[in-house]
Amino acid sequence: MQGTAADGEALDFEPEDDDLMDEEGAPDAEASPPHPKLKSAITASSTLSVPKKTKGRGFRQDSDSAANRNSRLTGSDFDTLTAEGGPGPQRSIEGWIILVTGVHEEAQDDDLQNAFGEYGEIKNLHLNLDRRTGFVKGYALIEYERSEEARNAIENLNGSELLTQTIYVDWAFSSGPINESVKRKNARPPQRRSRSPRRRY
Amino acid sequence: MGSEEESAEFYLRYYVGHKGKFGHEFLEFEFRPDGKLRYANNSNYKNDTIIRKEVYLTPAVLRECRRIISDSEIMKEDDNNWPEPDRVGRQELEIVMGNEHISFTTSKIGSLVDVQSSADPEGLRIFYYLVQDLKCFVFSLISLHFKIKPI
Repeated sequence: MQGTAADGEALDFEPEDDDLMDEEGAPDAEASPPHPKLKSAITASSTLSVPKKTKGRGFRQDSDSAANRNSRLTGSDFDTLTAEGGPGPQRSIEGWIILVTGVHEEAQDDDLQNAFGEYGEIKNLHLNLDRRTGFVKGYALIEYERSEEARNAIENLNGSELLTQTIYVDWAFSSGPINESVKRKNARPPQRRSRSPRRRY
Repeated sequence: MGSEEESAEFYLRYYVGHKGKFGHEFLEFEFRPDGKLRYANNSNYKNDTIIRKEVYLTPAVLRECRRIISDSEIMKEDDNNWPEPDRVGRQELEIVMGNEHISFTTSKIGSLVDVQSSADPEGLRIFYYLVQDLKCFVFSLISLHFKIKPI
């Protein structure tokens, strides 16, 4: 998509919102939602091509709750942080958040502090636990104040080893949707590499 | 990390809520195929108002979400023998992954005691822990991005 980012951004939202509003009918529907038209599921169904094996009561019940979701998760009045510039990492309120995956189940805050603290002061670290086992779930979210710090951590630690396991490091938030046509099989952002040395003969 | 998984379709929605003396109180979040995470939390208790947030996630975050779901093996379960939603509340979990689409509903689960005493403790336990792990993931994402306390 070309054109100015701001315009593109605004336009992106229009068609989708229209789709969603179709279900709600007249714009006076704010107070109480009209009768649901969708039995179950999924606004996303229009984007899902292949027929699915379905399972669960959600498909059978004429539940008002399941259908009322049209009024819960649709609409355009969700708070969002405005994206600036083209698609790329999205800044959060107080900094830049990166996701670390492949984290060893016995990793501790200090292990991540030591590895990631190299690239800047860590403003926030979430090392969430598996609720059943009590061990680390396998991911961590880390906040840096500055984007260069986050970028350096990504570039240097993505694919590195932490406690015998390979970890993957990437931005957590994006300024726009995942573009199917651009999306590569391996959607990790390209590693920025220094230019290879000139070949010697 | 399989490249087949990578390009597969993915959608997730979780809802928990009830209608009571404070109106319709609920928490709901949704991961969309284009990476959009939507989060809504409506509590009318003490005049709280609805919180609605949305943000685009990178493919890396969606991939981790899919991993958590795959590891749980929830797609093999069935809600046939789970407690039906009731006046106390309902939960809904809808997931599209690969060529499978589940839409499970059940009542609120207070604790593991409810799980143990149900007709399908193994399946319900998987649901119970998966929901907590997903909530934990979403709360971290939302609270780090927006600097709010989700609950």
